Amino acid sequence: MNSVIQVTDLVKTYKNVNAVKGINFDVKEGEIFGFLGPNGAGKSTTINMICTMLPPTSGSVVINGYDVHKQKDEVRGSIGIIFQENTLDEKLTANENLRLHCRFYNVPKEKRHSRIQEVLQIVDLIDVQNKRVEEFSGGMKRRLEIARGLLHYPKVLFLDEPTVGLDPNTRAHLWKYILKLKEQEGITMFLTTHYLDEAEVSDRIAIMDQGEIIAIDSPTVLKDELGGDLIELSTEDNDQAIEEIQEKVTGADVTVSGDTIHLKVESSDAFISNFIKTLDIPITKLNIRKPTLNDVFLAFTGRNIQTSEE
Amino acid sequence: MEGIIAIWQRDLIKFFRDRARLFGSFTMPILFLLIFGGGLSGTMETMMTQNIDVGEDFNYVQFVFPGIVSMTLLMTSVFSAMSVIEDKDFGYMKEILVSPISRVSIAVGKMAGAATVSTIQGIMLFALIPLLGLSYDFMSLIQVIPFMFLLGAALSGIGLLFASVINSTQGFQLIVNIIVLPMVFLSGALFPISGMPGWLDVVVKLNPVTYGVDVMKKIMIDIDQLSMTVRETMGLNLTVFGRQVTVFEEILFILVFTVIVVAIATFSFKRANA
Repeated sequence: MNSVIQVTDLVKTYKNVNAVKGINFDVKEGEIFGFLGPNGAGKSTTINMICTMLPPTSGSVVINGYDVHKQKDEVRGSIGIIFQENTLDEKLTANENLRLHCRFYNVPKEKRHSRIQEVLQIVDLIDVQNKRVEEFSGGMKRRLEIARGLLHYPKVLFLDEPTVGLDPNTRAHLWKYILKLKEQEGITMFLTTHYLDEAEVSDRIAIMDQGEIIAIDSPTVLKDELGGDLIELSTEDNDQAIEEIQEKVTGADVTVSGDTIHLKVESSDAFISNFIKTLDIPITKLNIRKPTLNDVFLAFTGRNIQTSEE
Repeated sequence: MEGIIAIWQRDLIKFFRDRARLFGSFTMPILFLLIFGGGLSGTMETMMTQNIDVGEDFNYVQFVFPGIVSMTLLMTSVFSAMSVIEDKDFGYMKEILVSPISRVSIAVGKMAGAATVSTIQGIMLFALIPLLGLSYDFMSLIQVIPFMFLLGAALSGIGLLFASVINSTQGFQLIVNIIVLPMVFLSGALFPISGMPGWLDVVVKLNPVTYGVDVMKKIMIDIDQLSMTVRETMGLNLTVFGRQVTVFEEILFILVFTVIVVAIATFSFKRANA
């Protein structure tokens, strides 16, 4: 597959702070690319540079064959951006918001009406298009912004925290629309989110920390790299249980948080039946799970913070 | 071009949708007309004519009406630049800035929007002409409309410049009031500005509103029929460097002023990374 975004040696320096320290990555056509990182990692700076909003100190970004610094207008026409915060004009109707967007992006006059109806159809807002946006719920506003971002058929859709501030039900609903887009339109998406469970939909994930990309791969590979399964258990007497585990059990990393003991093992299937027999202390709670992106994220950024402190 | 239309159209839709603003923007000039045209006209006439023998009828209301129309243009067009700050606050400026429309279109669109709104307001004030007992030549009223648009555009540029450096609507209102009121008082809109002390005279001659008001008066009031003394009394013999300026020169000055503010505003939108 072709790369639709190529980031090469991208650097951004503010006075004495190196916000972005020469990063490299590609985004392939048609994929959902998850871009994660803790607050202050340089994520927003990177996105702003990719979206032509901030000039880079050095390095280059090419989107759809255009250089973001030298061919700003061509790049702007090739991307759609759903910002974290609301950028709709609430005093105008949904339809008016979309019509203005068509003008901003020079959508041919004769195609405007059909395109507006088409994107409104995708996000199920066709019946309320003549209502003012101020009357919309939070979820409806987000959907309208997504529709607006699609109007000019962008090559890449940037979704910056698309579900922030929405209730779980609305979030799930919104994801349904986003995934429908990927399926129907095959549109490339560049996603940032704080909800790691949402990042699971990505084809590939980049984790950024302290101005550098510290991991980049598919969620499955990243989780596999972390390895094994996680067993979480609580017992009637955790201290004694840990003693017993350390005495009798091999092949497990043991950590404790609160009143839960975490065991990391290579394969829970082989491990668990023996383990339960070995333990004399009665178990009150037991949970076996595969590592999530959350564990991946903690492992990567946690390690990085430690090494930088040394 | 599409971008300019989009920005212009949006500001217009919003103006007509905001009833409070629509209503409020008419009350202010009407209030001024009542105070200066009705209440103070006698006092003003005596003050303006005390040292000169006018000989014929001097009508202060006829003098002040074009001034108040210009004042309305100034207020409306400068304050409509506040929409730029609101757009930054409510996030819409991002939608504009990440789109491929050229930055000069943003500035021109905003100025065209402000100029249209203020011209509409000015024209609506014309409806008060018979009520004030005035009569202007119909053709001269038509002629003055394109000029009102130009003046509105020029003055909205001043607002845009402030909006690009001020980040709160409250701050904008405060600063702009400090600037706008002296611009009105030192423009000859409400009383003649001849015979000002030297340093103030410099301010008067640099004030674009001065030329705006002067052109408005020269077009609307049929000055050829007025005697020299009445013209003098009305302050219609505006001189710069001891030379009387023509309407053409004044319009040229405002045109150049507009181009300069468009250029500065464009530059500020280029730098903006909302």
